[in-house]
Amino acid sequence: MNYDVLLVGVGGQGVLTVAELIAQAAVSQDVPVSLYPYKGMAQRGGFVKAQVRLGRDGAGPNIPERGADLIIGMEVSEALKGVRFVKPGGDFLLYGHVWPPTAVMLGKAEYPPLEQVLEAAREAGARVVYLDPADRPAYEGQPVPANVYVLGAALGHTGLGKVLNSETVLRAIEARWPKGAERNRFAFQAGLGAVVG
Amino acid sequence: MKKLLTGNEALALGALQAGVKVVTGYPGTPSTGAIESLLRRQPQGVHVEWSTNEKVAFDIAAGAAWAGQRALCTMKMSGLNVAFDSVISIAYSGCVGGLVIYVADDPGVSAGMAEQDSRGYALMADLPMLDPPSVAEAYRLVQVAFEISERVGTPVLVRLVTSLSHSKAPVEVEEPPPPPEREPQLIRDIARFTKAGAAICMAQHRDLIRRLEEAGRVIEEMGLNRLDLAPEPGGLGIIASGVVVSYLEEAFEVASGLGLDPGTVSVLRLSAVHPFPADQVRRLLDHCGTVLVLEELEPHIERGVHVEARRAGFAGRIVGKLDGTLDRVGEYTVREVVRSIAQAAGLEMPEDLLSGVAAEQWAAARPITVCAGCPHRGTYMAINQAIRRAGYRKNEVMVTGDIGCTILGMNPPFYTVWNEVSMGASIGLAQGYVHAGVKTPVIATIGDSTFFHAGIPALVNAVQHQVPLTVVIMDNGWTSMTGMQVNPGTEETFQPPGNRRVDIARIVEGMGVEHLFVVDPFDLEATTRAIQEALSLPGVKVVLARQECAIQAMRRGIRVGTVRVIPEKCVLCKRCILLTGCPALDLGEEAVEIDPVLCYGCGLCAQVCKLDALVVE
Repeated sequence: MNYDVLLVGVGGQGVLTVAELIAQAAVSQDVPVSLYPYKGMAQRGGFVKAQVRLGRDGAGPNIPERGADLIIGMEVSEALKGVRFVKPGGDFLLYGHVWPPTAVMLGKAEYPPLEQVLEAAREAGARVVYLDPADRPAYEGQPVPANVYVLGAALGHTGLGKVLNSETVLRAIEARWPKGAERNRFAFQAGLGAVVG
Repeated sequence: MKKLLTGNEALALGALQAGVKVVTGYPGTPSTGAIESLLRRQPQGVHVEWSTNEKVAFDIAAGAAWAGQRALCTMKMSGLNVAFDSVISIAYSGCVGGLVIYVADDPGVSAGMAEQDSRGYALMADLPMLDPPSVAEAYRLVQVAFEISERVGTPVLVRLVTSLSHSKAPVEVEEPPPPPEREPQLIRDIARFTKAGAAICMAQHRDLIRRLEEAGRVIEEMGLNRLDLAPEPGGLGIIASGVVVSYLEEAFEVASGLGLDPGTVSVLRLSAVHPFPADQVRRLLDHCGTVLVLEELEPHIERGVHVEARRAGFAGRIVGKLDGTLDRVGEYTVREVVRSIAQAAGLEMPEDLLSGVAAEQWAAARPITVCAGCPHRGTYMAINQAIRRAGYRKNEVMVTGDIGCTILGMNPPFYTVWNEVSMGASIGLAQGYVHAGVKTPVIATIGDSTFFHAGIPALVNAVQHQVPLTVVIMDNGWTSMTGMQVNPGTEETFQPPGNRRVDIARIVEGMGVEHLFVVDPFDLEATTRAIQEALSLPGVKVVLARQECAIQAMRRGIRVGTVRVIPEKCVLCKRCILLTGCPALDLGEEAVEIDPVLCYGCGLCAQVCKLDALVVE
């Protein structure tokens, strides 16, 4: 089964890590995979995206417009850059985190309202899955890593769960953070069972 | 074993598998990952280094190959421009051991540079070039490149594009053996290894042409390019090169839905783009009614097809860039492939097929700025302040820019830097502005690695010609923009064992620069005063702003201080945010807030606060 995932967000949110975990899980399930990351020039705070193509042997790295089965938007404004890529009937998972650029913080520039972003995704024919950052749980008093939480939600609430097995994703997570395994497992499972809108 | 590798890693591992002995290069997105992966691996018996620039790197690799070893040199496309003086000369001489140049092009521009198509260099230098269509093929074809190089005695270019060098895919790899023991040779052959006189050079030119032809035969024999002719003649023929090949199958699936029968299409898939595969193209032209040429960037193959079509008396249509169907700009996806197939085959393509609804126009602009704690921040602020204090407006003083993180000074809130050209260009450009008659001071800004790479000759020129100029060298001890590589100025502790640090201050003094100011860019006042004084002095002045890259220092757990907000003193005037643009600062309800994870404690925000609401502890 061919399944294309586009992830968008801001450098520092762990967007590329989520893409890596998906790719690792795919390899261990013997699902053909291509992962094309883009991180521009900034260490943090710049636009980041990753294209993960599952199921197609020797897939070209780029997902065409209107071709992604799943968009994972980790930041409200940046998620708009995923809209043109969603396939009608595909999933649009938005984690409602707001990371305002400095100009917005200073009141010199506009930031798109959440409803506008959700509407744009719906208009493109997507099935919108909204994950409220306020619902992100804590583990031992600290909020769990948002990226692993979102990955859990993607497995639990979008078509990605039909392509990849939660168990293999969990193993990829544990392999990546042998020390923080407990905390990340908790984050992932919280995402799997998260209440989405 | 199957491993998830980037194209860069696959290429590096393939080179090891081929028995490479010397690997050199200069960091440059998207090629950096190849040497990075080797430095992490530290293969026994293989010399791997970041060299001062690409020309130096290539000369080292060529020397090793002339001594009979296998050598690899890596660079981004702009680096090939730097190395090319030597590349074309060594192309004439040929090589003894296998010599492979890995160049990474950047269609779609992930790293702010010219969208250069390096295949043009293969044409100009008469060198064979392989253009792998996938990550897995990068692993295999770099090994093939070494084989061709040694069989024919020619350097071979291997080209990847960003979408392959950065992409990860599973690759079947072996654990590479150590390089084979080969005694280095000392071959004295004036006719081969010098350019002494017209007779020698023209004989070498003939050898070069002969070697390229031979490479073509070897490529044909190896079957690197695959021609599949449809059973029936007169149909559509497609020629695809490099990464575009990987979109073909997907495009056929989509085009089938538009009425295309893929069984009627003949396809020539190219992994070796130079020499031009004239025989296979000829067979395709003889078989097909219409030919579509698919290649990212420039129509190199397509032009060759036109020439071959003329020789073959081909009466059909050639679809590509020259007839306006395809674009010379940007990366391709399956969309471009399907559209051009539809065009070539006369199929109706619905408007919205593979074409989405734009929404990004509502996204908030996110200009990139320097990291929290970046020492360049202090330098830009000091330049701006010095210009003002010297009695000029900002738009009266030219500040030339260079490559690397230092160019971020063009962005808000600094708007300090005016231009960006190529490695080391800031210092030459600045001299041009002076000679053009600009009466106000001219400032050049450049980073440490860039200075070593190509800034030194330009500064020597300024000193020799005594050009009134202020050169600000921002020395953060690392080649940062490409992901923290060691350069000659990096502290000795972080150099590979046995390497020595080269001190920029001593270089500048050695050149005869009379006014050298060494400053700490976290001391805004002292840096401003030094730059202001430099602006008032005659001749060449150098301000060396020194402070380690904060990202690197923080990775070692270093903080230079702790900045604290005194909320009762903060009136939310936003001055600190407006002047520093520091990502660690945030507007709170009552006062400015500092992100303790991001803050390096540089204290620049505290230095601009007029109410002492920010203090460094």
